[in-house]
Amino acid sequence: MHPATEKLISALQDSSIQVEACDYQERGYHFEINLKADKLRSLAECMLAQEMFLVFVGGLHVKPAIEIIYQFASFERACRLFVRVPVDADGAMPTISDIYQGANWHERETRDFYGVNFTGHPNLVPLILAEEDIDLKPLLKKAENLLESAAVRRVKVEEHSEEEKAEQS
Amino acid sequence: MENLAENKVAYADLEPATDTHNDNHFYLNMGPQHPSTHGVLRVLLEMDGEYVVDPQPVLGYGHRMQEKMAEHKNWMAFMPNTGRMDYAAALQYNHGYVALFERLCGIEVPSRAEYIRVITSELNRIVSHHLWIGAMLLDMGAFTPILYTFDDREQVLDILEDVTGSRLTYCYFRVGGVCKDIDDKFVEKTRAFIKRQRERFAIYNDLVTNNIIFIKRTEGVGVISPDMARRYGVTGPVLRGSGIAYDVRKNEPYSVYPNFDFEIPVGQNGDSYDRYNVRLLEIEQSLRIIEQALDQLPDGPFLGKVPKKLKMPTGDCSFTVEAARGELTYYLVSGGGDIPYRLKIRVPSYSNLSVLSELCQGMLLSDLVAAMGSLDLVIPEIDR
Repeated sequence: MHPATEKLISALQDSSIQVEACDYQERGYHFEINLKADKLRSLAECMLAQEMFLVFVGGLHVKPAIEIIYQFASFERACRLFVRVPVDADGAMPTISDIYQGANWHERETRDFYGVNFTGHPNLVPLILAEEDIDLKPLLKKAENLLESAAVRRVKVEEHSEEEKAEQS
Repeated sequence: MENLAENKVAYADLEPATDTHNDNHFYLNMGPQHPSTHGVLRVLLEMDGEYVVDPQPVLGYGHRMQEKMAEHKNWMAFMPNTGRMDYAAALQYNHGYVALFERLCGIEVPSRAEYIRVITSELNRIVSHHLWIGAMLLDMGAFTPILYTFDDREQVLDILEDVTGSRLTYCYFRVGGVCKDIDDKFVEKTRAFIKRQRERFAIYNDLVTNNIIFIKRTEGVGVISPDMARRYGVTGPVLRGSGIAYDVRKNEPYSVYPNFDFEIPVGQNGDSYDRYNVRLLEIEQSLRIIEQALDQLPDGPFLGKVPKKLKMPTGDCSFTVEAARGELTYYLVSGGGDIPYRLKIRVPSYSNLSVLSELCQGMLLSDLVAAMGSLDLVIPEIDR
């Protein structure tokens, strides 16, 4: 592992954030982090201090709560982190747009599509959608299509290959 | 006057925090039909005389909700949509999308197909830079260069048309390979183009690169520092102009890019001139990649064996490619079946444009046109 990546991982662990290594060839990112909303801002500060950039912010509508997804990467080395944060009970999420200014638009877009309220955002007005479509929330799933969070998680490799074998036979 | 007042009310929240009550300031709409906001971008400018106090891009005029469309049809039926986001570099969008499913389903791609993908993608990158050089100079008032770049662009479009069947919104790649093999005629025409393009650089340099008017209008205009690039997630030639050698083709190599010897051109000052230079040098690097790929082109099938009905395994998967404008990331969440549960598309111009407000504060309006032009924006890609 690259020394700077090791430093990043230990810095994250110092803020008691659990980092899980992934198979890049299979997933397309090196590390996965499942986070509580109250830790998000310290994660973002840590990322900026370790010279990572913000790739995107997006949403994912699953049961029991909408998840906000973040991806960070490095300009200097192959290091890509994926972060998954469920919104809290009242559908809010702290903003990171004061740490990563690039998150400003991404958060406005996520509010357009999912109705998630980013607390502390300086200008949470519609970005992509028209102002009159503020309640449209087009990426929310209908109840019959909504899946559990666990149902869209990757099945462990061993189970997956067994499943495949069963299918083939 | 009435219209201006209305604007002020509707966009009260867009007003800058400072100087909100300055009577000398006025609002100016640049776009959505302005010739230098290609596509349909609108920039709401707060002006103090000829100086821009606060430029705020207003997006969404070309919004088609691509991400929702992806959740509603078979993953294969979404393929043509990928070429309709960044229409100037559609093949790289094809590439990211098919590679995403190849990664998720563990599909092997024959090496000939990977070579064809790289050759056509790089041709598409060159075409995209041709378009940009012409368009940016046109924005700045120079009419001649676009005639030269479009002359070159036509050569490539003819080559790509023969093999892909279209000239702009390509849908050429397939999961497991490409849909049509390239032939000797393609190779011959591409080699002829490489030779021709190398001779044309001298014209570009005389006409643009060493043109004193162009230099005066772009040098020191719109400087993006590495720190600013990091805070906004700026990528692609815009980032490399600021001296950071970040290129997904080198950083997280995909396809057969590790087989080729090429450099990542970088600028020093991060101004508009550097961004121009980086793109011009990138054309030469793309030519080098194509040349090596044609030399090494292996025989074999151009489309691998892929099951007719491809079922996605449960889980998520991400794939990043270097598009002509920067980092393009597809992030897919699958709940099984053949329709994606969620497809997030991270487009480079989106983050590249988001710097505009900080980048162009206090600039002359004419400099804003040069700085915004150097970002190489494709608006349908931003709006999706």
